Amino acid sequence: MRVRMIDVRKSFGKNEVVKNLSLDVADGEFLVLLGESGCGKTTALRMVAGLETVSGGTIEIGDQDVTNVLPKYRNVAMVFQSYALYPHMTVARNIGYPLKLRGTPAAELDAAVYAAAEKVHLEDLLHRYPRQLSGGQRQRVALARAMVRTPSAFLMDEPLSNLDAKLRIAMRVELKRLQSELGVTTIYVTHDQVEAMTLAHRVAVMDEGVLQQVAPPKEIYDDPANLFVARFIGAPAMNIVRGRVENGSFAVREGTVPLGSVAARGDVYLGFRPEDAALAPVEEAMLRARIYSTEMTGNETIVTCDMNGEQVVIRADKDYEGALDAAVGIELDPGKARLFDCDSGNRIRR
Amino acid sequence: MNIPERTLLRRLFLPYDITSMAPATRVLVYTILVLWLLVVLFPLYWLFITSFKLPVQVNDGPDFLPFIDFEPSMHAWRYIFVDLGNDTLRPYINSVIVAFCATIVCVLVGSFAAYALVRIQYRVKIGNVLAFLVFLGLTVFTVTSLGVPLFAAAPVAIILFFFFVAAVGRYFQRALGNDDILFWIISNRILPPVVVVLPVYLMFQRVGLLDTHIALIATYTAVNLPIVVWLMRDFFAGIPLDLEESAQIDGASRLRIFFTIVLPLARPGLAATSLLILILAWNEYLLALFISTADAQTMPMLVAAQNATRGPQWWYMSVLIVIMIAPIVLTAALLQRHIARGLLVGAIKG
Repeated sequence: MRVRMIDVRKSFGKNEVVKNLSLDVADGEFLVLLGESGCGKTTALRMVAGLETVSGGTIEIGDQDVTNVLPKYRNVAMVFQSYALYPHMTVARNIGYPLKLRGTPAAELDAAVYAAAEKVHLEDLLHRYPRQLSGGQRQRVALARAMVRTPSAFLMDEPLSNLDAKLRIAMRVELKRLQSELGVTTIYVTHDQVEAMTLAHRVAVMDEGVLQQVAPPKEIYDDPANLFVARFIGAPAMNIVRGRVENGSFAVREGTVPLGSVAARGDVYLGFRPEDAALAPVEEAMLRARIYSTEMTGNETIVTCDMNGEQVVIRADKDYEGALDAAVGIELDPGKARLFDCDSGNRIRR
Repeated sequence: MNIPERTLLRRLFLPYDITSMAPATRVLVYTILVLWLLVVLFPLYWLFITSFKLPVQVNDGPDFLPFIDFEPSMHAWRYIFVDLGNDTLRPYINSVIVAFCATIVCVLVGSFAAYALVRIQYRVKIGNVLAFLVFLGLTVFTVTSLGVPLFAAAPVAIILFFFFVAAVGRYFQRALGNDDILFWIISNRILPPVVVVLPVYLMFQRVGLLDTHIALIATYTAVNLPIVVWLMRDFFAGIPLDLEESAQIDGASRLRIFFTIVLPLARPGLAATSLLILILAWNEYLLALFISTADAQTMPMLVAAQNATRGPQWWYMSVLIVIMIAPIVLTAALLQRHIARGLLVGAIKG
């Protein structure tokens, strides 16, 4: 079902952790709330679940205003970072707990539990206790418990962050598949941008309680609305260089980048992704720098350059070999470079 | 390197690894334990054989080996079970009813209180507490000095108190928190029960409940409640909030969460606390001495009664004590496997 947050605020004492958050999650959409820890994303999710009261604003699920409705009546399912499995119940009873609370007949309950367990490949472990399961299996029990009924929405609070890297990637794939099969609206909280980019239909980036941008992953990556989003998304992050716009080009001491038609203005930030730039001979390149370090990752070499104290990262060919402190030139694609206002950090559209 | 030679002495006194004891230490430790075991068990053994001795054998001095030092006799057992018959059985059943009922009520009520003190943040305004005391004093004054009937004065005082709280209460700043409430509860137990023996006696006399099970159960519940609250609070505090929030979202009410999630997980604490309260209620003498006279007389009374005008009847006392400790030993044996720890393993994380 559609989930709407309209101008939602939350304060703990004088500390406002969510500020005027408005989000409209369409039916069946997979929305990822992305941000650093303490940015208010988990609080936002907990308000949708009803675990946290709101200080202002409205929350709607479907067409109903649920702002002041108890969690048990919201019919949402939540997966906790800690999984929150009931340790004194078997896997089967864990999964069946939400149905049991609704007074589902035993036969129907067993069938539903088995079906949910099958979806996450747990059907052989139904009689085990959580303590007898591995981390990944516990995670799947938590998922099955969420899927055993038909909730209005799935709410997931960093469900994969306690798994090891390999399992996390496997579960990510699985989760994406399950969500599209079930078609249940999902709000997913994470601090991991790779998870956000790979899972989401749309990503909502938050910082210090304020929503920065909501857009599909590609747009978030290519068209960041402000400096925070630009810096936050991408690994290595977007390069940000401070300079001035003069005569239709971006100028720093180390060179100029032609930008075409752009109004002259004072200090700006120029941002470009490491893959939108290339190393070139010093003489003909747009910008000059020194090599600070090189890291060969297998399929490419990450070259960190020093430009008058600022670090700029360039993706180079895996065979690239540059001596430390050697002078290099940087050539970049002006069409893919982004300008940001120095004071507000907002994008300057050209 | 300077590795010391493994002499015999070193081999005896140095452990092989951190988790084991050195051979000599082990001998020493087990010797002490066995000696202590004898110290603990010997009185029980003495009690047991005394119950099979004739008065003359008891007064004969320390004879400890049946069939060798003395010829066992069933005379005391016959007296207690056949001659006294119902006079033994009645206090015995009284003790069982009173101790077990008091334990169940006490642990249940105390657990509710302890859970509330863990999960709900109370802020009791000191001003309101003082106002309550003032209104209480005024009620007592009007009833005793002005002759206003209690059923008229009390409702008026309560209504006035609520008006006062609604009107003035919010201007009070200083408030008591959960820890203050907890300390107040435990301070009730710091007071020795003997202080309240007379008021309790008069109270039950007034309502005509002297020498009844209800009076004893109520008294024991009240006296032991602080211990339950104090002990159970720590067990409840150890249960992750995630589990309860998860259950809430799954559709459980607060009572349902308490009975299906919280209590089962606090089972070790519940077992230990129940056992403690059972023992306290089972052995209680002072309050029973005042509250019960004949019909509700409990076992400690009966045992004490054997030290009568004829001098201490050690043989009868021994029989009574043997049958008196039996239920407690049995209950302890039944409960001890629940006192095992580690119930929360698997609840959260991997």
